[in-house]
Formats: sequence, structure tokens, C-alpha cells
Amino acid sequence: MKYILLMSGTAAGVAGYHARSKQEIEAHMAVLHRITKDLSESGEFVATQGLAGPNEAKVVRGEKNGVPVTDGIFPESKEFLLGYWIVDVPNAERAYAIAGRISAASSNMPMEVRQFATYEATSR
Amino acid sequence: MKYILMMTGNKSDFDGYAKWSKEDLQANVAFMRAFSKELKHSGVFVSTEGLGWPSEARLVRAGKDGEPVTDGVFPESKEFLAGYWIIDVENPEQAYKIAARVSQAPGAGAKSANMPIEVRPILSSHADLGL
Repeated sequence: MKYILLMSGTAAGVAGYHARSKQEIEAHMAVLHRITKDLSESGEFVATQGLAGPNEAKVVRGEKNGVPVTDGIFPESKEFLLGYWIVDVPNAERAYAIAGRISAASSNMPMEVRQFATYEATSR
Repeated sequence: MKYILMMTGNKSDFDGYAKWSKEDLQANVAFMRAFSKELKHSGVFVSTEGLGWPSEARLVRAGKDGEPVTDGVFPESKEFLAGYWIIDVENPEQAYKIAARVSQAPGAGAKSANMPIEVRPILSSHADLGL
């Protein structure tokens, strides 16, 4: 079963992260790479992506004639997706264990864990 | 450049989707399928996924000895990811144009749902973090 592990944070949280020393950030990235490597070796890895910072986020709506209308103003409380891992595991508990490991490596940040839609209502 | 188009909604939005008629849901799914197909044909498609319902979402932190501690209680305002597309396009304008099309997907009563779609570049490597 495929699960997605979502790491999210506010713009202030991201600014705090970038204020860390280069060594601290590199040490964090090294642990994340290690986790990804372990998941590849155990055959549970599907995909991972990191997203660009909140300052590059835009919300887009389509006007009647299909013209995109963009907006880049967000409330301070807005939680931005920072990155995700997709894993293929036998059960939710295993997905939670992996999320716990990523959380422990990332200042105990909460990780949101969701299963993929099994119905075909949203994609493909 | 790779961009992610994210469709999100809070719990009451999802409650609303659950009440769509079968016809409205089918029209929406047909639109989404045709949309993904079109992205594939135009060569910009990378991936798409739909997520399970918010009721299945858990927040996970590590306990002191590393065991996962889960929580399934979220504030009403919490925005849940419903699904996403990753596309590979030349510039942000092209990504916005594609996002605008998804925004116009048919919703309840066959009217355009006009859903807001969040668009962000994907990091090609950690070098993009300025390391």
C-alpha cells in the first residue's frame, strides 16, 4: 500500500530553518539522504521531492475565458508543503514508523501521513 | 523546470465533495483523466497522485525512544492536500496556465468548481536551498 509522508511548515518556520548554519543544514540533509537510501535498500522507496520556498508559491484560479489569475499573498498561519516521501509498505504502522524516523531527524517536526486514493476519483 | 500543482481543501470542503452527485463526480473524474492525458501528449507530464480522505490522515512525531506517536485531530482550518500534478514546463507562466485549467474542472451542478490551485517550483537538488 502506498502512503505519502508530508512535511509542512509556515513561512516563519522556513525562515528559521534557513537561519541555521550551513553545517546544521548539511547534517540534517545527510540524515534525510540516509533515510531515503535505507528505504531504497528495503524496497519501500517510491519517490521523494523537495519544494521551493513559500516565497515562490502562487495560488492560481482560472477566469471564465481560462486566463490564469495568480495570487501570492497568504495568511501567516498558512502551512506550506515543504517536501514529501512516497513509500510502499505493508501497513499504516510501518508508514508511521518511517514518518517517526524523519520527524526525529527533523527537530521533531510533525509529519502528515496519508494513504493514496484507492478509488479513481482524483487522478489518472 | 518542474512545478507542482496542488489541490487542497479543508475538512468542510471535503465534506462538500462527498455530497456531489454521482454524475457530477463522474464528470469531474472524466475531466481529470482527459486533463492528465493531454499533459502526457504535450510532453509536460511528470506524475499525478490523488490522496485518501482527511479522515485517514495522521500526524506523526517520534517519541523519546523513536517510536511513532500518532495524532488524528486537526484544527477545522487545516488544509489537506487532495491531490497533485507535477509538470515539466519552460516557465512559471505555462505552469499557471495549466493550473488555471485544472481550476476550471467541473464541480457540483456541473459548474466550474474554480478551486484554487497552489503552484510551486520543485527543487531539482538540495543545491537549490543555497547550500
